[in-house]
Amino acid sequence: MSKFKLANIFAYGFVTLFSIYVLLPIIVMILTTFKTRREIFLEPLGLPGQFNFSSFEKALSIGLGGFIFNSFLVSLFSVILIVIISGMAAYVLARIDFRINRYVYLLIVAGFAIPPAAVLVPLYATVSNLGLLNSIYGVVMPLTAFGIPFTVILFYAFFLDFPKEVEEAATIDGCSKMQIFFRIIIPLSGPAIASAAIFQTVWIWNEFLLALIMLTSDEVKTLPLGLMKLRGEWSSDWPSIMAGLTIAILPVLIVFLIFQKYFVRSLAGLGK
Amino acid sequence: MNKTQTNSVGFSLSSDRVSVIILLIPALIFCTVFIFIPAFWAIVGSFYSYGMTSLNDWKWVGFDNYIKASQDEFFWIALKNNFIIVFASIVLQVGVGTILAAILDRGIKYGKVIFRTIIFTPMVISSVAVSIIWLIIYDPNVGILNSILKSIGLPTPSMGWLGDPDISIWMIMIVAGWQNTGFMMVLILAGLQGVSKEVYDAAEIDGATGVKAFWYITLPMIRNILIVAILITTIGAFKVFEFVYVLTQGGPSNATQVLGTYIYLQAFNLLHMGYANALSVVLLIIALILGWFQLKASRRA
Repeated sequence: MSKFKLANIFAYGFVTLFSIYVLLPIIVMILTTFKTRREIFLEPLGLPGQFNFSSFEKALSIGLGGFIFNSFLVSLFSVILIVIISGMAAYVLARIDFRINRYVYLLIVAGFAIPPAAVLVPLYATVSNLGLLNSIYGVVMPLTAFGIPFTVILFYAFFLDFPKEVEEAATIDGCSKMQIFFRIIIPLSGPAIASAAIFQTVWIWNEFLLALIMLTSDEVKTLPLGLMKLRGEWSSDWPSIMAGLTIAILPVLIVFLIFQKYFVRSLAGLGK
Repeated sequence: MNKTQTNSVGFSLSSDRVSVIILLIPALIFCTVFIFIPAFWAIVGSFYSYGMTSLNDWKWVGFDNYIKASQDEFFWIALKNNFIIVFASIVLQVGVGTILAAILDRGIKYGKVIFRTIIFTPMVISSVAVSIIWLIIYDPNVGILNSILKSIGLPTPSMGWLGDPDISIWMIMIVAGWQNTGFMMVLILAGLQGVSKEVYDAAEIDGATGVKAFWYITLPMIRNILIVAILITTIGAFKVFEFVYVLTQGGPSNATQVLGTYIYLQAFNLLHMGYANALSVVLLIIALILGWFQLKASRRA
């Protein structure tokens, strides 16, 4: 009996300690935004003397709203392209006995393995030659390419488990493969599309390396670049930097907390 | 890939052939233009010397860039750091993630969803934001880490947490673990929830409960998912960029460089495009080897 209790204490203790490790930096971030620069030097562990919102105003004045809007556009365009293009390719791989499928699948897995840093210089030259430097499409296009392989693999697994009867009936009714895909498969693939879209949104919203090399003027910068700008320009004005981070993170956290069941489900599906 | 995929939905009419090509081509074009052709040019470019302003003025140098890399101390440090990150991530993220998942699955009764939500949360925060938050925690003047240690009378590193080359890479691992362990936990938890209750009942009759049941029953049953988790973590460890770029910029004196940041440094700060390509090719080879393992693992799964 006492042994059972000990195991229980260990189990609760371990998850509690880990939760504190996770929560502490978020609490530090939020508390720091309300402190004055004097307070964080004198009492790093103390609570803010009063709720002071001036750092929020300062953070917004640097144009954080514009960075958030750019990130929103980049994520929206990339995710739509990734989901449609990957869905089409995965459908062919999973459903149609096409001679080159085997090689296409090998290419897709190779594409999944290659990180952007392994093609950094030629990718920069490609985007430059397309005239897309300092345009959000200069990140949308490569991010779409890098998002496709993983999403194809995700959809492929989903389509393999998909009942074939519906498609057979549609074929008998004279539908072409294109019609079947857009009128039947897409409307029935809600869960897979949600998983793919959630995963890719999280990744693209936070992507940094490609944005860093492609976007150098402030009007087109995405949120992670904007946060680096805060950090660079204010160096030791921690309350304002943390206010910027809070503004950047809070909307994502709220969306996450509302939809966390779907987030967890989408990521949990990866192991299958 | 499933070779026995059924073909009952037929594929004979030539209009179908056209649709198949139309469905397949966008994915192939995107991947070819932005992944495969750049990969090809990275290999070709690694035998040349050129700079940012002379993107079209290439000078053939043969294997010079590779010889340079083999003698470049910082390249070896970067490569070594990537391997340290692989090893540390597997222990910290997959290992701790497995323990957390096991506890949430069968170890505790109350608060499962709350704990799971909290621990998973860092996954949705951008790595740049995460790194900046940890910068203030590690800060020697205003950071809470130093304040806590001082208040309980423990010593603090004189060069700062990120300024000491002996510990800075481990400080980066603490941040990476903070962000990624929850993801591993959720992934493994999904695998654990697939293990049926009957298995545990049978094990209990045989006298295996608690940690014993976990070790002898659960772990072997989620072997495939652990392999996937280790692969995702390993591939991720070679993609590491933001943590290093924001926390240390590869310093102090290049002690925390990784391949990603060193390639970026050579290409976009020092404008050694050819040399950066040679370093990219090393990363490319490692990535393709890992991709090959991934393919093997997914076939077995």
